[in-house]
Amino acid sequence: MKAILLVASLMVTFFSVQGDEILVDATAEEILEKIAIHQGEKPVLANFWATWCAPCIEEFPHLMELREKYEGQFELIFVSGDFREAREEAKEFLREQGVDFETYFKVGKDNEFITTISDEWTGALPFTIVYNKAGDVSAAWEGKAEYETFESQLLKVISED
Amino acid sequence: MKKLKLTILSVCTALLFTASAGLSDSLEIGDKAPLVNQRVEDTSGRTLTLSEVAGRNGLMVIFSCNTCPWVTKWENRYNELSALAGSNGIGVIALNPNERIRNRGESMVDMKKRAQKQSYNFPYALDEDHKLADAFGATRTPEVFLFDSNLRLVYHGAIDDNADNASQVESAYAKDAINALIAGSEIDTQETRSLGCTIKRSE
Repeated sequence: MKAILLVASLMVTFFSVQGDEILVDATAEEILEKIAIHQGEKPVLANFWATWCAPCIEEFPHLMELREKYEGQFELIFVSGDFREAREEAKEFLREQGVDFETYFKVGKDNEFITTISDEWTGALPFTIVYNKAGDVSAAWEGKAEYETFESQLLKVISED
Repeated sequence: MKKLKLTILSVCTALLFTASAGLSDSLEIGDKAPLVNQRVEDTSGRTLTLSEVAGRNGLMVIFSCNTCPWVTKWENRYNELSALAGSNGIGVIALNPNERIRNRGESMVDMKKRAQKQSYNFPYALDEDHKLADAFGATRTPEVFLFDSNLRLVYHGAIDDNADNASQVESAYAKDAINALIAGSEIDTQETRSLGCTIKRSE
């Protein structure tokens, strides 16, 4: 009986950790660090989204598809700008979309967060920023993009030496 | 043929990014309010211009809408700001630029319902074809532009630093800017950014 309880408890712990790992609280500085880790190794595409943002939800699957198509050739970083009370909803959406990797949940004041992330960002969602292998910004834009736009921007940085 | 397709795609992409960059070219502090004689219709059926709305001490324009959760969070502060501004000779107007989704919650009928439900104490007008939003370089809702008596921009950005909870605001950016403008003193924080919904411009 004790063994069963132990296994059950371990399973609960395992799954709750798994659940948390797909959405981790992060400040702007922490997100920039996560991006910088890949400098010199591979390009990064960071996408800032929220469950309440219809264009974000519409473009999200494009990015998941591209992540699979160009597996290992670029790093995809999602950052949720959801309200605190919608954190669980955000996590649920990530699961529905098949996200099984670490993504981030914005913490901190908007103004500091936005200005730290990029001068190009006024705060409108969605916001996407593409870094090349050297860590320089290759493209940044607010608003929804189509699959072809994401792909062409990614190919540009993937094909760079 | 493949090459041609790639060229067309590159040109389209370039055009898209040029367009996006243009939209984020917002008014800068000190710039004059644009299109001040552009007529807009508000929820009470009046046609107004920014020149007419402006008071002796200035003008506050809020780009807003009916469908953005950030507006929902912040709009309980609209009336207080409007009362403060209005009683000190600063005219206030909210503009709805969401042309692309007029039939999905952003029509004049929806705006009337919203203004009534929230008891807006300022005109809420439809920015047809987002002409004013384009001229201002507005990118999101809600977004505040405050002008002085010469209709020069003195504050641009967020209402405050806490959409979630008005009682926990640490920096009341727009309110502080209005108070400084009234007092004739320097506005400490002239530009701020906040998360918000993109303006749904027609494609």
